[in-house]
Amino acid sequence: MKSANLLMPHMATILDITEETPDIKTLRVVGKEGLPFDFMPGQCAMLSVPPVGEAIFSITSSPTCRECLEFSIKDVGSVSGALHCLVPGQQIGIRGPYGNGFPVDEMKGKDLLFIGGGIGLAPLRSLIGYCFDHRQDFGHIDIVYGARSPADMIRKSEVRETWREQPDTSVYLTVDAEFPDWDGNVGFVPNYVSELAFTPENRIAITCGPPIMIKFVLQALDKLQFSPEQVITTLEMRMKCGVGKCGRCNLGPVYVCKDGPVFSLAELNELPAEY
Amino acid sequence: MKKIIAREKLPELWAHLSEQGPLFLPIQDGPVVLFQPWFEGAEINLDAVNSAVSPKDLFLPREETFMHYRCSGKQLEMTPVEPGEPVTAFGVHPCDLKAIELLDRVFLGQEPPDALYQQRRENTTVIALSCSAADPFCFCGDFGVDPADAPGADIMAHLSDDSMLFESRTEKGAALLEQAGDLLADAPEETFSREAVQTADFNLQLEGLAENLKDRFDDPAWDQLYKSCLGCGVCTYVCPTCYCFDVEDFGHEAEGERFRCWDSCMYGHFTEMAGGHNPRPERKERVRQRFLHKLQYYPEIHDEIACVGCGRCLRSCPVNLDIVQAIKALGGEKIEKR
Repeated sequence: MKSANLLMPHMATILDITEETPDIKTLRVVGKEGLPFDFMPGQCAMLSVPPVGEAIFSITSSPTCRECLEFSIKDVGSVSGALHCLVPGQQIGIRGPYGNGFPVDEMKGKDLLFIGGGIGLAPLRSLIGYCFDHRQDFGHIDIVYGARSPADMIRKSEVRETWREQPDTSVYLTVDAEFPDWDGNVGFVPNYVSELAFTPENRIAITCGPPIMIKFVLQALDKLQFSPEQVITTLEMRMKCGVGKCGRCNLGPVYVCKDGPVFSLAELNELPAEY
Repeated sequence: MKKIIAREKLPELWAHLSEQGPLFLPIQDGPVVLFQPWFEGAEINLDAVNSAVSPKDLFLPREETFMHYRCSGKQLEMTPVEPGEPVTAFGVHPCDLKAIELLDRVFLGQEPPDALYQQRRENTTVIALSCSAADPFCFCGDFGVDPADAPGADIMAHLSDDSMLFESRTEKGAALLEQAGDLLADAPEETFSREAVQTADFNLQLEGLAENLKDRFDDPAWDQLYKSCLGCGVCTYVCPTCYCFDVEDFGHEAEGERFRCWDSCMYGHFTEMAGGHNPRPERKERVRQRFLHKLQYYPEIHDEIACVGCGRCLRSCPVNLDIVQAIKALGGEKIEKR
């Protein structure tokens, strides 16, 4: 049987673009007929902008959103920069979904602690939205989110308003320094997590953010007696194929694009620390 | 089916085969032998120990365009490009065919299969050739390769001083032999016997190596091993089991193409991410990645070392940082009992 070329993108169209921060935009994308594909929270997609190329991004919308896929993208590279220059109605290439996604079944019945920093909220938001739409499956939800400044926070109306209105949900916001009119916490995310003193009983912590933040969040959770099995994070590596063949996201016997990007800390501890 | 042809009649066979589609075979090109399409007057070198670059590019081309794009205003048109016509590969040595079987596990065995590779593989008839000689760098014996036989071939061929014998192994192979008609004669059962080719014995201890390497990620041996590496990447280009690739666009705003091409884990940009972070920033990490992928990571997934002992890295590395050096530095040398 002839297989499809897995590197061949499908056509997608940009519905609209929201400016989240000075360097982050959210693109809403549809396929030819609605969602380009089904996916689970934590999975990723390759977006193409010829002639600049193709890069992998986490899907930030929840799979329960059936209208479109959302991508919150920071302008750091060539493809992300090209995506920032596009306008609604523009067609792009898309292929996916890639990766394992968050272990939602293992999270059922547990209290969830989300810890995000900056653009790291993008993959977490997909899972947060999924949990809100399957609210009875999960216990208490705590969300700790930090950014350099209030202006650098993404999904501002959600983090400040709508998420707080969800049942049995607490949202804690922090920024790196004092800002006028800022009434949330001031300080780095890992320190804030320590101050909030979350208990590990029946709780899973899910963290995503800059590598330096993740490093200290993992230390903070360890001090709070979270076991490596209770801590989940996502890795970011350079990727080209998305299906474990091109070789660049290889870590020991795993390929981050297909075996990740979601790993428990227990799984990460078994891998070479080359990420 | 067994067929035989006199050696001086081989050019007629090649001319015939090349009429059916591209015929790739080892062609002497200045100082090196390379798998290239046959042409009238080409200097075919069937006695060469190994081509300078492995014939893996018949299945994973050095570069292959798989998509054309056109942009006009907000419209984007993307059209797939299919791999080309059926190909015959003539004179592939057993080590190189074994390497292709190792690539098969990645491109065909691991879901999802790679359609481009799959089509090339299915479109190609492989005529393997037993080795009539080995040089001091051939060490395929360590990897279970028999220089006289290539189990995965469509046709197994043997060369003697005056003739070439073909034995079909698959339907595709039999069809090719039949199609050659009168150019080939039926071969008697016992056609000719030959002396076994002796390959090098580097005293390697490969059993248990993958398991032992799990504890050697931080081994001080890496601090010495990588120092001579120039980062030129030639090892990855000549290696028959290296398969890392890149995907890039070539063209301008209005139209162009997307292609994939060989890439090398020995280069810094290979893992460098947007924003500048690089998980393998120095040659030490890259050298370690390349050798551990072949000797530990690939075996952990596929239960076999990703090396076939073809000797190309030994012949090509300008600073002799080859896989034998690495295996020995990492505890893979037999220790003789006295």
